[in-house]
Amino acid sequence: MKKILAILLAGMMTATAFAGCGGGASSSSQGGSSSQGSGESSAASSDGGGATDEMTVDANTVDPSLFGDENNITLKVWAPDKAVSLVKEQVEAFKKAYPDKTFTKIEVVAQGEGDAGTQLLNDASVAADVFSFASDQLNKLVDAKVISEVAFTKTVTDMNSPETITAGTLDGKLYAYPETNDNGYYLVYDKTVIPEDKVGKLEDVLAACKAAGKKFIFDCGDGFYSCTFAFTAGVKIDGLEEDGVTQKFAQYDEAEAVKTLQAFSKLIKEYKGTFTSLNVAQIASGFSTGTLGAGVDGSWNTTADQDALKDKFGAAKLPTITVDGTEKQLVSLFGYKYIGVNASSKFPASAQILAYYLAGETCQQQRAEKLGWGPSNKAVQEMPVVKDSPVLQAIAQQAQNACAQVNIAPTFWTPMGNLGNKLIAEETNPDDTAYFTKLLKDTIANVRDEA
Amino acid sequence: MIKSYKLRRNIANAIIYVLLAILGILWVSPFVYLLMHSFRLESMTTVPYLIPHEWGFDNYVALFTGSGSSAINFPRWFLNTLVVAIFSCIISTISVLAVAYTFSRLRFGARKKLMNVAMILGMFPGFMTMIAIYYLLKAMGLNQNLVALVICYSSGAGMGFQISKGFFDTIPRALDEAATIDGATKNQIFWRIILPMSKPIVVYTVLTSFIGPWCDFILAKIIMGDARDLYTVAIGLQSMVSAEFINQYYKQFLAGSVLVAVPITTLFLIMQRYYVEGVTAGGVKG
Repeated sequence: MKKILAILLAGMMTATAFAGCGGGASSSSQGGSSSQGSGESSAASSDGGGATDEMTVDANTVDPSLFGDENNITLKVWAPDKAVSLVKEQVEAFKKAYPDKTFTKIEVVAQGEGDAGTQLLNDASVAADVFSFASDQLNKLVDAKVISEVAFTKTVTDMNSPETITAGTLDGKLYAYPETNDNGYYLVYDKTVIPEDKVGKLEDVLAACKAAGKKFIFDCGDGFYSCTFAFTAGVKIDGLEEDGVTQKFAQYDEAEAVKTLQAFSKLIKEYKGTFTSLNVAQIASGFSTGTLGAGVDGSWNTTADQDALKDKFGAAKLPTITVDGTEKQLVSLFGYKYIGVNASSKFPASAQILAYYLAGETCQQQRAEKLGWGPSNKAVQEMPVVKDSPVLQAIAQQAQNACAQVNIAPTFWTPMGNLGNKLIAEETNPDDTAYFTKLLKDTIANVRDEA
Repeated sequence: MIKSYKLRRNIANAIIYVLLAILGILWVSPFVYLLMHSFRLESMTTVPYLIPHEWGFDNYVALFTGSGSSAINFPRWFLNTLVVAIFSCIISTISVLAVAYTFSRLRFGARKKLMNVAMILGMFPGFMTMIAIYYLLKAMGLNQNLVALVICYSSGAGMGFQISKGFFDTIPRALDEAATIDGATKNQIFWRIILPMSKPIVVYTVLTSFIGPWCDFILAKIIMGDARDLYTVAIGLQSMVSAEFINQYYKQFLAGSVLVAVPITTLFLIMQRYYVEGVTAGGVKG
């Protein structure tokens, strides 16, 4: 009797396990088939215009015939909360730009860019047709076939800065419309603590903070920030290996890299009490309570920092560090934001045209003016709104000294965070070359999952 | 060796009380911190000191007047959770107690087997079937719907019958027999005899099933997706400390966390007296 029961239960368990798989499999195959469908239609629409002429009218709109037979259009747009009201206005303008079309409903829903990819992968069929997301999610979206290719590749490529196009391209196909060229971190500082001509060198910044009795925040425990140490040391990432999961590193000079890490550690030790490793959420807070002199903060926190510092707010690219008498620019991780089109959209052509519009010149200019987002559009980058903004200039300069946040292995973050923690650790001796050599090797081995 | 018994007892007591006091402080300090800082006015996120410098109700006011964005709507989230909690509490309490009574009092063929199956199924973590649940709900057109949450929280509740069954087992069967002789049906015995004597376990069941929706994050998040108007407090509060909102909403998050405790505490205070009142002794004579 017991045996029969055991077999029965085991059978039930396997059955439930299979039922779970079945659900997942059928849904993913659904996603696959619909993505093929929309792929065909977008290909058809671009074919219709010919390979060279994509029938784009200008930097915002396209030929209305590209809508095909889509009418009574219903679309959902995901935008981060701060941008929702602006995007709503832009959607209204979009409707006016195509007066012959009827739009039943274009809904704008708040959805943070950092979480958009996950939400889309959960269930693409209830997700937005047009969505903003950060560049690091592109890989998994393409792998899961939930994002469709850009229908106007040539025009979009011509309009936007080359690095955003490169980062949005996988296997020679452009998968998303570049939206911003600003998703990174830079130096924010209190102008009354650090004179503007002193922000170039990390040594000067720390000295000024120490002299004023204020702190400097850099989040060493978070791989997103602490990979700066490795990158500055010359250990830069270079995409993924053939297997698609192992991180590849560019060639580097080990002796030089170790020396740089030691210089960081030494400097941090020297300014113990001033240099603090805290979450970036503490930066705006620190400025508002007047305990902070400077910090390395993300572009998404700019408004909060400005509110806290008012006219004392200063922005600059990351400083340099002196290693053996030579100044080395700090190299950061830098990402971009994109607008993607859901592969299972019921109105694929309209979604493409709306994405083109939202990522177009006018919309980028409006976002730069109203939200302070750094544009990816080359024409907008030359406009006074960007040229005269110290924040956007600082970010643009830092972008020149950065590794793009694309093709990053999931194993990248923790070892990099660990490297940062080791650099600032109490027991670390900055003069111990052997220790740092081992630390560097371990970090790379862990990132590559070879340990 | 200390000779005096009294001295020895006092020393032992002193050590025990100091230890308990330390543990008590450790346990209660996060709550005190949360409460204090929910009244803090200065700074945007955390501060490096323990006692806030400026105090006020601004965070609570802001939470309910919704100054700011449309994406953060705490009153709505609170109401959502309350409604879901009330309904799932009623349904799951009844189903848990009914199942427990059935297994405790009735004798039928598959009784043991069903109990074993429930035991084994209960050993799997609830979120294992999350994706399957999501697609089932979607097939029924219930995704992004509060009814879905009520269904999720209450439908499996009956499997958590063990504790209640254990309690019912301690109530003498002689009571049932006496009632049967007087002509009561099984149903009448459950409602008229057993339930009134089981107040502590009813209170326990009500409280645990009421708390569930306030704490569940993972299932609610999957089901609700981008429908921010239908969020429960758990997902809503988490979204307030995401990178996008933290600088603006951190202090409101603290205030919100304090408020979540209010309905649960209120319910507990109302029901607390029944905890001690449920006495079965003296129910049977002779």
